[in-house]
Amino acid sequence: MIEKITAYRFERLDETLSQLNREDCAIIAGGTDVMVLHKSRRGVPPKIPKPIVFINHLSELKQVYQHHKDLHIGACCTYSELLENPLIPFALKNAIKTIAAPAIRNRGTLGGNICNASPAGDMLPLLYVYNAKLLLRSVNGDRMVAISDFIQGPRQVQRFHNEMVTEIILPFVLGDSHVVFEKVGNRNADTIAKVSFAGFVRISKDRIDDIRFAFGAVGPTMVRSIDIEKKLIGKTIPLADADIAEIVAAFDKIIRPIDDQRSTAAYRKTVALHLLRYFLSMKQYQPN
Amino acid sequence: MIKFTLNGRTVETDAPATARLLDLLRDEFELIGTKEGCGEGECGACSVFVNNLLQNSCLIPIGSIAGADIQTIEGIIETEQFKILDESYSIAGGVQCGYCIPGMIMASAALLSENPHPSEAEIREGISGNLCRCTGYNMIVEAINLAAKKGDGL
Ligand SMILES: Cc1cc2nc3c(=O)[nH]c(=O)nc-3n(C[C@H](O)[C@H](O)[C@H](O)COP(=O)(O)OP(=O)(O)OC[C@H]3O[C@@H](n4cnc5c(N)ncnc54)[C@H](O)[C@@H]3O)c2cc1C
Ligand code: FES
Ligand code: FES
Repeated sequence: MIEKITAYRFERLDETLSQLNREDCAIIAGGTDVMVLHKSRRGVPPKIPKPIVFINHLSELKQVYQHHKDLHIGACCTYSELLENPLIPFALKNAIKTIAAPAIRNRGTLGGNICNASPAGDMLPLLYVYNAKLLLRSVNGDRMVAISDFIQGPRQVQRFHNEMVTEIILPFVLGDSHVVFEKVGNRNADTIAKVSFAGFVRISKDRIDDIRFAFGAVGPTMVRSIDIEKKLIGKTIPLADADIAEIVAAFDKIIRPIDDQRSTAAYRKTVALHLLRYFLSMKQYQPN
Repeated sequence: MIKFTLNGRTVETDAPATARLLDLLRDEFELIGTKEGCGEGECGACSVFVNNLLQNSCLIPIGSIAGADIQTIEGIIETEQFKILDESYSIAGGVQCGYCIPGMIMASAALLSENPHPSEAEIREGISGNLCRCTGYNMIVEAINLAAKKGDGL
């Protein structure tokens, strides 16, 4: 028996949003997560339980531009497109280069990585430390949500069925900020991170003006603590050993990774805390 | 009905929109050079060009490629670039069982079109999404290197 599959592919975003408003649909951007998740036997189309809406051809979702100094990135930009775009910050490009292989980077989208909400999504730690916001659009209008509020747990996001993520917004950061991304895994091309880390710091005259960090793959969502970050603001670098130990101890309490086929909880925690310790040593941010 | 260009010809299909491009190519269009290895984007055996970009056909629902230009290994076989790759792979001994090779050639062609004189690291990155269970990769890397020298910009 052939099952009937309903799918829509509109030429315009507004038509697409009207369809999402009429019916609860499954959105497919690049499909690199969806097609694997719903894979069936060879020759048999994946079973996706809802009507499908394709979006990755919509030019409205592929723009990258600056507005009031904030960077707006269209949800359906692929990784390859972002790698080629001069407006995209280096740190984000470095993280993109750790994602899979060229063929996946030609299809996978930034919006897909966010909405898939994997604890190991490689774009997420950096987007957290950039305080990224998401523009959600529906027939009723736009709303803006912080990424940390949008992502609720593995594959769980705070999105109404008539909404779509249209843009990812990186608020302006001063040019002298340092941003880093580290990923620990096996083979890039199919590696889901065992642990990942993003750090952001702005130092003026040896004093920390702003500092943020987020860990990936060590909990159901990214681990970030603004309370812990605050303890470091105003301190001079190099940080005292006691300060570093205090911050590491604080994260030791809140990082609760799991064992799975990729790694163990103990390994993940040890590596996460090492990455933090290295970042806090700030070796790379001191003159000479 | 979904319409797209396949190896230069306009084609149509009434397969469901979620059908994988890979299955359509092999079962409906009988283009069996494109292989299925993992079916999950990890092995590259199913590599094709979508609007000239290397992609895994096992991850492509055909509804998303309406109007697109698709090329398979069969579609590039007449190109000068293919001939040079073909020759270089045989000289370097880059082919054993051959299962990964159509995908490898697609990845090699994509790499050389974008970067005609890649370093060894760039070659390895270019084929990083393609698994080979036989050769251990060194001969394939050598083949691409050879093709880059012979092709000189092709
Ligand atoms: C072989 C392989 C290797 C991979 N390697 C990595 C890796 O190294 N690191 C990594 O982080 N990921 C990796 N991935 C996962 C995947 O490629 C990425 O998460 C990618 O960014 C998903 O984007 P997509 O457009 O393909 O998403 P899709 O599969 O199209 O969608 C994913 C989810 O997001 C929803 N969605 C997509 N766009 C929107 C939108 N605009 N608004 C609302 N909802 C939306 C979809 O409904 C779906 O639930 C890999 C996948 C494969 C197959
Ligand atoms: S079959 Fe498509 S990548 Fe393996
Ligand atoms: S030659 Fe056998 S898999 Fe590559």
